[in-house]
Amino acid sequence: MKRTSSPHTATRLGLWLGVAFGLCFVTGLLSHYLQHPPGWFAWPTRPVWLYRFTQGVHVTSGVAAIPLLLAKLWTVYPKLFERPVVKSLPHALERGSVLVLVGASFFELVTGLFNATQNYPWQFFFPSAHHAVAWIAVGALLVHVAVKLPLMRTPAEEVRRGTLSRRGFLLTTGGAAAVAVLATAGGTVPWLRTVSVLGTRSAALPVNRTAAAAQVSTVDDGWRLTVGGRRFSLRELEALPQTTAELPIACVEGWSASARWTGVPVRDLLALAGVEDGDVRVESLERDGLYRASTLPAAHARDPLTLLALRVNGETLPLDHGYPCRLIAPSRPGVTQTKWVTRLEVIR
Amino acid sequence: MRWAIGAVGVVMGLWGAVLVLPVVSVDLLLWFVAGPIVHDVLLAPLFAGLGLLIARWVPQPWRAAVQVGGTFTGVLVLLAVPLLWRPFAGGPNPGLVDRDYWTGLLVAVGVVWLGVLVTTLAGRRKRPHADR
Repeated sequence: MKRTSSPHTATRLGLWLGVAFGLCFVTGLLSHYLQHPPGWFAWPTRPVWLYRFTQGVHVTSGVAAIPLLLAKLWTVYPKLFERPVVKSLPHALERGSVLVLVGASFFELVTGLFNATQNYPWQFFFPSAHHAVAWIAVGALLVHVAVKLPLMRTPAEEVRRGTLSRRGFLLTTGGAAAVAVLATAGGTVPWLRTVSVLGTRSAALPVNRTAAAAQVSTVDDGWRLTVGGRRFSLRELEALPQTTAELPIACVEGWSASARWTGVPVRDLLALAGVEDGDVRVESLERDGLYRASTLPAAHARDPLTLLALRVNGETLPLDHGYPCRLIAPSRPGVTQTKWVTRLEVIR
Repeated sequence: MRWAIGAVGVVMGLWGAVLVLPVVSVDLLLWFVAGPIVHDVLLAPLFAGLGLLIARWVPQPWRAAVQVGGTFTGVLVLLAVPLLWRPFAGGPNPGLVDRDYWTGLLVAVGVVWLGVLVTTLAGRRKRPHADR
């Protein structure tokens, strides 16, 4: 089969892929900074679904990018067999940069897809690797754009060999991206849940770390919540004025689910304990584990909807959801919504 | 303009290299090169081969629709891999990754091929002389 590459189709697909990668990169960085905030970073508490939205966009645009990347590579596949392999130093550098771009792109999309399904066939620490290689992918992408920019003006090919027309090929690619999104987005888009047969979320409110996995068992009457110098029993917490709010849990893995949480606002607890507000360290009964504690930024600690929840959807918090109490704050990653809370401490 | 974009790209890539150095391992490097290799020697030739088979064996009014259906099926199968192949999965979590994905995949692929059937038959009806 003799086939030549088609710059016009390749640049059109490149544009779509650039948009998908751009969305992935920006939303991914936001998620990274939310979990490891640099000094200059601030994140709003409203709308309450903001993180649910940005992380949903992150995972969805990543899924859409998979068929786009495959189609893009298909249009330029003949160039792989170009001879001579290397014509000049700039040509060698260009081919090298494409190898880095394709390697980093597949790395990001495949590890991201596996991570979203809680499947880890590797030994490296996913968040660090996924973050670092994202910079390499986008850097190589910009180099590639700089090299190929003149091709944007290439006229459409007169005739395209093969079964599908040029238009048909682009439509099929767009359709494949749409199929990929429909099949998976139900993890975060509620009305797609039954349609998305390859979605990760099956329950209305899933559990992402069970009490058994965290080695936490139910507490007795001796349990106290420590806030600064003050200690609260569960009865005392239940007797305090309660706030009920509809707030989403939005996981970094892309699924999200809304629930009606009832509990005591964190800012009320801080006021009762007589501590100045600021960034709050929230600690769990969980002894170890990466996410046994989190730091609640001052803006979130002050928010009236940031709760230490005792109930969910009108029922006592189940042990797997963090009994006796868990943190639930608006517009935050799920891993920072600490469960089985035992201590609140203002750290600055 | 082009030079500016390229320079920004180089700086971002180098920053990525700085970030990746502390976590680099054989495992990570293998994952990095596996994508291009698996694509170039397996996925792309497989797709090309299936395309050739379709061009040779599938009669005309069906050819384009079958190719589109095959493409959609391939994408669905790829997306299902991490859900069906799970020797390295984390612990079970109630309500997450616990659906019947074999059935789900089968249903999705069935809907795709139903679409192939319907669009081709509808297209034939509209142009009754097309297959003459």
